[in-house]
Amino acid sequence: MRREKRASGQGRREFLKLAGLGAVVGTVAAVAGERPAEAAGSAGAPASGYRLTEHVKKAYELARF
Amino acid sequence: MVDSTVAERLLGEEEELRAQVYGLLARLLAAPPDAALLGFLAGLGERETEFGRALLALAERARAAEVEAVADEYHELFVGVGRGELLPYASYYLTGFLYERPLAELRSDLRQLGVARAEGNKEPEDHIASLCEVMAGLVRGAFGDGSLELQRRFFMRHLEPWAGRFFQDLERAQAARFYAPVGSLGRLFVDIERAAFAMAG
Repeated sequence: MRREKRASGQGRREFLKLAGLGAVVGTVAAVAGERPAEAAGSAGAPASGYRLTEHVKKAYELARF
Repeated sequence: MVDSTVAERLLGEEEELRAQVYGLLARLLAAPPDAALLGFLAGLGERETEFGRALLALAERARAAEVEAVADEYHELFVGVGRGELLPYASYYLTGFLYERPLAELRSDLRQLGVARAEGNKEPEDHIASLCEVMAGLVRGAFGDGSLELQRRFFMRHLEPWAGRFFQDLERAQAARFYAPVGSLGRLFVDIERAAFAMAG
């Protein structure tokens, strides 16, 4: 069971590698200025308080209908 | 024990790349790129994979693009006068109307994850950019437990049913020049994600 799981994890990893996602390396720095907000400003509330980022908010403002 | 630790760390690299792709799509779909981002995009891509070639196409457009022209294009595609050429909302793609059941279901799932709209933001959460942003956060474990299962559930419920169609529409949109290869990139990535989740067992 455990072994199978690991094997399938490897298959997935191999697949992702072959799919060429590596071509985006560095993107994180490039979009850093507008990087998605991190979770929960306050410690102790890890799964709460996430806010969709300002740029998304801006898009919503623009896309007013 | 050592094996699985190594495996997890390697897995982490691929997962980080996924988060970066989601982050890039979120950024480009939420607002037009600035000069710095265009400059960065200009250097991306490789010939070995379809995904890499889509990035090459995007790089080529980025090199030829001017910030103002891309901003106009973004406006034409997603904002428009009255409405843009495309309506990048899950509810619209799945029901033909905005603010329908898919949005209600999304809101319920986001509440459980502890994700909310920014204060004062009254627009719906089912915009493609915010869904990509949520996926990036789920992959990084910024919220949720970071598990693949949670990512898969969110993806299958809120992106898989329509995002591929949206990205295809973006590829073919009349106003799309810079954004056409963004559409290709998104369409290919949705296919990659679908296949990869199926492999996770």
